[in-house]
Amino acid sequence: MSDRIYLGLPGLATDVTTLKEVFRYRVNMYTIKEEREIEPETFAHLVSSTLYEKRFGPYFIEPVMAGLEKTPSGAYKPFIAATDLIGCLNFAKDFVVAGTASTKLYGVAEGLWEPDLEPEDLFETCAQTLLNAVDRDAYSGWGAEVHLITKDKVIKRTLKGRMD
Amino acid sequence: MEAISHAGIVIGVLSKDGVVLAAEKKVTGKLLDMSGATGGSYGGSGEKIFLLNSNVISGVAGITADANSLVNYARQAAQRHLFSYNEDIPVELLAQRLCDLKQGYTQYGGLRPFGVSLLYAGYDPHYQFQLYHSDPSGNYSGWKATCIGANNGTATSLLKQDYKEDISVEDAIELVLKVMSKTMDSTTLGSEKLEFATLTLDASKQPKAKIYNPAEIDALLQKHGLGKKEEGDAAAPAPGDLTL
Amino acid sequence: MNSFLTRYSSTSPDADIRKAKELYGEDEEVSEMMWGSAGGFGNLAKGVPSFKIPAVADPSSFLRMHTDDHADPSCRIKIKHGTTTLAFRYKGGVIVAVDSRATAGSYVASGTVKKVIEINPYLLGTMAGGAADCQYWETYLGIQCRLHELRNRERISVAAASKYLSNLVYSYKGMGLSMGTMICGWDKTGPAIFYVDSDGSRLKGDLFSVGSGSTFAYGVLDQGYKWDLTDEEAHELGRRSIYAAGHRDAFSGNTVNLYHVQQDGWKFIGNYDVSELHYNGPGDNVPGAPGGGYGYDIRVEGRSSSNAPA
Repeated sequence: MSDRIYLGLPGLATDVTTLKEVFRYRVNMYTIKEEREIEPETFAHLVSSTLYEKRFGPYFIEPVMAGLEKTPSGAYKPFIAATDLIGCLNFAKDFVVAGTASTKLYGVAEGLWEPDLEPEDLFETCAQTLLNAVDRDAYSGWGAEVHLITKDKVIKRTLKGRMD
Repeated sequence: MEAISHAGIVIGVLSKDGVVLAAEKKVTGKLLDMSGATGGSYGGSGEKIFLLNSNVISGVAGITADANSLVNYARQAAQRHLFSYNEDIPVELLAQRLCDLKQGYTQYGGLRPFGVSLLYAGYDPHYQFQLYHSDPSGNYSGWKATCIGANNGTATSLLKQDYKEDISVEDAIELVLKVMSKTMDSTTLGSEKLEFATLTLDASKQPKAKIYNPAEIDALLQKHGLGKKEEGDAAAPAPGDLTL
Repeated sequence: MNSFLTRYSSTSPDADIRKAKELYGEDEEVSEMMWGSAGGFGNLAKGVPSFKIPAVADPSSFLRMHTDDHADPSCRIKIKHGTTTLAFRYKGGVIVAVDSRATAGSYVASGTVKKVIEINPYLLGTMAGGAADCQYWETYLGIQCRLHELRNRERISVAAASKYLSNLVYSYKGMGLSMGTMICGWDKTGPAIFYVDSDGSRLKGDLFSVGSGSTFAYGVLDQGYKWDLTDEEAHELGRRSIYAAGHRDAFSGNTVNLYHVQQDGWKFIGNYDVSELHYNGPGDNVPGAPGGGYGYDIRVEGRSSSNAPA
């Protein structure tokens, strides 16, 4: 969504594209009026309120967000959040999961995650969690993509996965 | 209409490789808090020149409150277009959207029209760089060079004199500054009385709007020999590339 | 005393004991222990299998209430669906190929399921639909086929075996059995395939594919099938077809099991990982295989401007 906010939208494909455009609209309006980049936490609330607008006819998606938020001292701090399909926010300190493989992801992530991982170790944890979980999910798979967001750069890696 | 003829002048000049806008600020003074214009913003003090979309900037003359409302409307219209068609709004279409709104207020009783004239400087792949003017009644027209606000007659004749076909954006900047310095009431130009912006293409052929911040305006005026002479230690901070 | 008469008498002490046993629901000859040790086939000692039926007015709707995952995805028992199986007849015999994935809902319960049941050295059955139903009844069919052999001093024909199964599942029609199977073998008439399902259908044919991935398998199979296939070409066609289904169907995949039935009985050809087939193919110098991965992106790598050489 911005240089330091990433959004994952698992769910109904048509809603994924529509919401991507809705969020672009709203983030652009926020940016041009506030004359600054939106913060990840603010963005999470924007996602939440956008989804709750459709409380009784929701978009079929479960967003996950990851980014770096600015602390008062000017440093950057990792941020993750997820919501359900009608916008209930979940700010987690450890990990957030969503999608058809979410139950499987919870299991593997619970086993592999540990606090204060270094970027490359975090990448390995994420990659292994994802790959192993989607192999146990009939609807997910055919490869994976991991974005490693650090304050200096974002590394995108495309992982080979099982092709069945 | 009355308000517009008293408003600070806005000049726009179209060139083959960019559009230039300059505006005279009326709300000035030592006590005015200008910190917002120098911080992390996209530049400008937000009184006369606004970024409407990544491909359009506008200069306004008239009732400031009305102008703010129209700017908000224009930004929404541009984002609505981006949402519907996944492309930047064409400049003329954006001008039309605002004129449709403005015209509506001339037709029905009970409400007063927007007391604002606007200049739109924009770029789209269909007609490249464009410059439009719209008045409170909802008329709009395209121009090579035009101006709105106080003394616009003087400015127009100056523009007519010095405008050349196939002018470059560098020459357009110089032209705009020259006309500005001759039309404005004050003797010397400075960032406290001036807003300035350009719209050009970047290396990847995408439109790039640059609304100058005060330090950049002063540096530009110095470059063209129109700035204040004294103060050797003006120490303009290096113009950071604060564009959107 | 005529023990035969006693057995059916309604007035003797034996009859009283029998009635009491019936009342308490105790199994006459097969104890729970015996049932367990005979692997579920204990009750066959009496010659006819029988099942405990839930004590409700409509047993099949009772079962459906707890198993139908379309109406109620949260139901307790989910029957395993999603499979790709295929079999085809050609000059050199019968090729049987199946995938190995078992799913319960979206959960991949296992990737190492055996979906080919070796009924006897000359008969294979494939498994699609309810895993337990297929496994139980095809094993049962194996028993009956052996009995046929003993009684008639002659191997049962594929037609007869499949007819036995078809009649059997038909007698349970409407009770919720779910199977789609191919009975494949070689008998006096040569190679034969019969498709049998729990609706009661029984079809003889040269080429079948069954399961959620069958459409994908048919696509490859129909395109590459001809009677005069060599053995190697036939193996490759079976393997390639199941790969296609494993790739495209969410509920099929993991590995391919390949069998070949000839005059002297069936032979297991091999087990192939679908992902391995996608990236690398069945292995080096496999006769009939073109070499390299089956995957489209692997085959065209570096051959188009949108997929330039690395």
